[in-house]
Order: sequence, then C-alpha cells, then structure tokens
Amino acid sequence: MTRVRRLELTWSEHQGRSCLRVRGWSQTEFSELGRLPPAELAGRLVFLPSEVLEAGFDLAVVPPIAGRWEVDQDSICFVPRFPFLEGLGCSLLVYSTAQVTGVDSPEVWTIQRPASQATATTEVVAIYPSGDQLPVNQLKLYVHFSSPMSEGWVARAIQVRRADNDQPLEGVFLAMEPELWDPERRRLTLLLDPGRIKRGLAPHQETGYPLIEGVPVIVTIAPDFRDATGQPLRTGAERRYQIGPPLRVRVSPAKWRYHPPAAGSMDPLTVEFDRPLDHALLQHSLWVNDASGLPLAGRGSVHAGERCWRFRPELPWAEGQHQVVVDHRLEDLAGNSLTRVFDRDLMKVEDAPADAGRFAIDFTCALPSTPPAMLLRGKLKS
Amino acid sequence: MTEHDLAIAVGKYGLEIGTPGIKSVGPLAFGPEGILFVGDNVGAAIFAIDVGDSDLADQQQEINVENLAIPLASYLGCSREDILIRDMAVHPSSQNVYLAVMRGRGDAAVPVLIRVVKDGSISEVSLEDVPFSQSLIEDAAPEDDPRVVSRDQLRTVTVTDMCYVDGLLLVAGTSNEEFSSTLRRIPFPFNGSTLTNSLEIFHVSHGRYETAAPIRTFVPYANNTSLLASYTCTPVVQFSLNDLKAGTHLMGKTVAELGAHNRPLDIVSYVTGGEEYLLIANANHPLTKIACKDIDQQGPLTVPDRSLDDDRSGPISPLSGPPRQELPHPGVRRLANLNGSQVLMLHEEEAGEIHLRSYDTATL
Repeated sequence: MTRVRRLELTWSEHQGRSCLRVRGWSQTEFSELGRLPPAELAGRLVFLPSEVLEAGFDLAVVPPIAGRWEVDQDSICFVPRFPFLEGLGCSLLVYSTAQVTGVDSPEVWTIQRPASQATATTEVVAIYPSGDQLPVNQLKLYVHFSSPMSEGWVARAIQVRRADNDQPLEGVFLAMEPELWDPERRRLTLLLDPGRIKRGLAPHQETGYPLIEGVPVIVTIAPDFRDATGQPLRTGAERRYQIGPPLRVRVSPAKWRYHPPAAGSMDPLTVEFDRPLDHALLQHSLWVNDASGLPLAGRGSVHAGERCWRFRPELPWAEGQHQVVVDHRLEDLAGNSLTRVFDRDLMKVEDAPADAGRFAIDFTCALPSTPPAMLLRGKLKS
Repeated sequence: MTEHDLAIAVGKYGLEIGTPGIKSVGPLAFGPEGILFVGDNVGAAIFAIDVGDSDLADQQQEINVENLAIPLASYLGCSREDILIRDMAVHPSSQNVYLAVMRGRGDAAVPVLIRVVKDGSISEVSLEDVPFSQSLIEDAAPEDDPRVVSRDQLRTVTVTDMCYVDGLLLVAGTSNEEFSSTLRRIPFPFNGSTLTNSLEIFHVSHGRYETAAPIRTFVPYANNTSLLASYTCTPVVQFSLNDLKAGTHLMGKTVAELGAHNRPLDIVSYVTGGEEYLLIANANHPLTKIACKDIDQQGPLTVPDRSLDDDRSGPISPLSGPPRQELPHPGVRRLANLNGSQVLMLHEEEAGEIHLRSYDTATL
C-alpha cells in the first residue's frame, strides 16, 4: 500500500448522521479497503481521541471510538455511536495490514472538532432566602438560573466567605453527588452540612455550625459555573447575609397574621408569617379553599423575603367563609416544619412532634360595610 | 455471550421488549436472575432491564483493570473529564462489572451502561429492544393530601442508592426541597407505576436529639435481616429489615459516626473466616471496616464516648461506636461483593485515573 498520498479528513454527514469522512485514498487501497468485511476494516482504520494517543497507552488494549465504518462513493466514513463532542481532538490510525501491534506502525492523521462559538448568556436569576438574615442553623439555599445548567460545578463555583475579613468558610455545603436540581436543571438546592447543624453529632462537636453567629457572610456564584451548553455565566452573582441565632421552634400558622379581602373584590388575601419560610416549599404548601372545601382557582405568590404570601383569586371573592390550608411539611429556614423541630431535643416537652395532617385557618370575606371577621379554628384532622 | 440468548422469559417479571427511555443513569442494583435496576434521576424513574448476560464465572474470579478511564474515554469518544461514573454493580452470575456512566456534560450528556469483563475489555450494554419495565419515582404526596392546585414541577427526589431484597426494591432518595427521610419500598415485579408508601426513618444522636435525614447509602446484611445505612450527616444506623417491612415510622439505632467533612459513598458486606464484615467507602475518610457482630452487640450511642480521645477536654472524637479498622485503600469510590471471596473496589485517583481492583476478602 502506498503512503505517497495525502488523506483528507473532514466532518460530514452519512445518511443523515454526523460522521468523519476520509478521502484521498489511492485507487488500489480504496478498492482493497472497500472489499474488507467490517471487522477487518475496523482493524485497519482506528479512530481515537488524540488525548488517548498522547497518553502513550498500549493501543492493543485501548478500544477505538465506538462506531462503524462505511464505504461511500469515493470516501470512507466513520459514523460514531455517540455524537462527536465539541472541541475534541481526534486521531485516525491507518494500518497497512491487519493490525498487529509492534509489527506495523500506523500512519497518523489528526482532526479537531470545532469548539462551540456560543456566547455566555445565562445568569443567576435569584438566590433564596431573599432576606438579609439567616439563622446560624440555616439548612438550605436555592439558586435559580435563567437557563438549564450543567452538573458538577457546585464545588468549584459556589463559595461562602466572611464579609468581615473576606476569608472563605470551608465545608459549608454538603457535597451532593448527584447534585440536587429541579427537572429543568434551572434551580439548584444547596444543603448546608446537616451533620454540622445537628446538635450532638460528631461533625457539629468537632467543627461547629457551618455559619458563625454574628459573622456576616457573602455567598458567591462564580461565572465559571457552566450552563447546559457548556458556556460560563454572563456574570457572577452574590448575596450577603447577617447570621442570627439558631431557630428551633415548630412553624405555627396560629402565629401568622391574616388580612382577608372584601367580598366582591379581586384584592389578594395576605398572610404574614412570623418568620421567613422556605421559598421552594411555599410554592405549593399553601392554598385557599372555598366554603364548600374545594380549592379556589387563583394564584399564590411569595413576598417580603419569604415573610408574606398573597393569594389572588381568578374570580371576585364570594361572601362568607374560606380557609387557608397549610401543608404540614412547610419548613422555615432551619428546616423546622409544622410538625417537627429540625433536630429535636428529646428532653424538651414543647418540641414533641405534632400529628401530621391538615392545618387550616378559617377566614371570612365580608362585604365592605362589614368589618372582616377572622376565626382561628386551628388544625383540622384529615 | 450472545445478547439475550438466555433472556428471562418475557412477562415473568412484567418485562416487555422495547427501548427504555433512560435520560440519565445513576444508582445500579442487580435483582433476581440478573435483572439490572437502573436509577434515572433526570427521568425520575427506575428501570428494570434484562441485560442478557449469560456468561459464567467461577467463585474465585478476580477482575483487575488499571487506568480504566483511558480505554473508557477512547470507547466513548471523549476526554476523561467528560466521563462521570455514577455507580458500579456486579452481575451475580457472570461477575461482569456494570458501570453507570454519563458521557459528556449538560445538554450533550449521554447515559451509557458499560459492561467490563474479566479481561478488562469494555462494551456498551445495548438498550435497544431489550426486556424491561419501569417504575416512576414521583415525589408522592400522601394519598390523603387534598392539594390539587399547585403540583409544580420543581420538586424531585434524587435517588442515591438502591438494593433488592426478597421481592422489594429499597430506594433511598433525597428531596430537593424537604430534608426528610423516606425509604421507598417498591415491590418487584413493578406493579404499574404505583409506589408503596414511603417509610419515615429517624435517628437519635447520643440519646438526646432526634432527626429525620436522608439515607445516602445502605446495605443489607445478616441474611437480609438487617440493614446498615449511612445518612448524609454521617451517622451509621442499623435497622431491622423485619421492622422495615412492617412499619411506616422507624427509629434506627445509631451505632457509629464517621466524623466531620466526610460523606459516605458506598457500603458492602462480605464474609470471611465465618464472620460478616462491612466496608464503608468515604469521601474524605479512609475505607472503614466494621464487624457485623460488633454492630449487633453495640448499643445505641447514648453518650459521647470519650475513651479514645487523646484530649478529653477537647472536641469529642468521632471514634465512638463499635471497633472499626481503617484500611489502606486510597480513593475508593464504589464497592461491590464480586463473588463472596473477592471484594471489588473502584478507585479514583486525584489525577482522574480510575482502577478496578479485586481484593481477597481474607486480606481485608
């Protein structure tokens, strides 16, 4: 087989699929290769990531890129099993006889897959909690992005540092593998190390809370974070928090303030909480039932640093009784729910768990001439 | 091996021929007759797949593959940085090694099941026209939950470990919203897509503080009568599987803590010299060996054990609980009992190198 010819490697398509196309064969070798059964052809033409070749690995035990060779009119195509990756450098080894390692040195031809030309457009949309103070036993943060994101960047791109001396705080977040994302990969859940939050556990005894009471912190999301297309963020983001005392009390709807709207109006029902609550859980833990106990059509929204919830109905409020219903799983910033304190001190009677069930607060929509009446009916057993 | 030449009779486990729409691969576990369970956290589903692996192996077989990342990157047509091995499982009869691999990142990520055989050669497990069934992993609201107005799509359960025990697939998962502990028990064959009620699991630290926390990894032992689980917050907790099957609220016995800045990654059980042992792979701490009899004899941790602390006025040592041994096996990310006489370890070095190494249980 002559080697006095120059092979031309191009990225192309074969029967609608992305492929590597190799031209420039001599007529003799092209017809010889074209007659070979697939297994033998795969022994003569070996396509590899260049990184593998450069690593100096024994090629006898390294498989080529999974795929198949197809002989076309004037060229030979490699159709990969998995799509070619952007920016990947590849090498084609051409053996003149059936491949026998150490006997036949292959020709080596290289080609580079083009890198992405996309520009950075993704940004951080929000970081929750949106208030400016966290309890020292804060359990979760949520980061919302404008586009779907790649996994595997949390440890590299998210940092917490002290606002007073700019020193990073280590080991704040629990390294999750896999990371906790919503199905769209737009919302990231960050758990602060629960072993350091729970009293009595060795991590807490050894290293204390992840945060330090009285020491403000800045949470930063570096632009290095990659979106799903592999692009960095358009810009980084940060949020500053003051760190307050620990919070270990069950969430109690009886302590909230309710502002019922007037019958006939489209005004929102407003509920003010006694403390900030978990932004994610608030999206689906509160709703309003009408007088017959059926969910009212409308839209809830969260405000004021997760201290307030408003419900705006689709139709004007009917006169009479309604209910705010609360899912018992709703948590505050430290993971205390309606039924449980996050890490319960068994010695404290007041921290005993409440029964799970429905919590409902009645309120009345009255005509504007009548003062609205509020009735706290407490928990209803389901 | 020929594909599916000994495939399990279609229908025996409710499997049907088709192409499972797997969006991502995560935890792996083998079930009856070599059926492979694959956790798909993006698709929020668990697939049961007959992988058609009819190879036979002897009980002393070893598998050792150095620098697995290079051939894997070559086969998958990517760089080593584009490979993420999510889990490892060993086929019970062929002893071939199955790896859940994500190839590429973000939108370009492709889930691949890789089979590694004794001589180190790798191949893709075909997922086209194979017998399979699936069960959805919904963040199931209780049946009495009246909510109908806001079933938003942000909630997920990320499956962190799975195990098949006597007709039940046990699934540990972490919610991306509530920090609760639920252990799902899914009867297999899958009964439609309906999940059993999840089980609330609590643990008590030092007899004083009780919390529910997600289980990260777990393993049955003592002939499937006990379960040793490790929480995200590192306590090692023992449950009776009999209680597990009966209960809806279960208190585990915290028998050990593994300490700060650490995450449990995997647990395996093995028997040597007539004694059963557990190995726990940790993110930052050494591989830890605990004898099952010591776990069973260990009472729940009620007061911090200061007996091993050098400085008894200083921070409490995490070395409370049953005696344990740290083994000199670096970078162990995944563990599997290869065949009773060998434990397989997937080692990952800082340079990104990955090795599969078998260890005679008598030497551990």
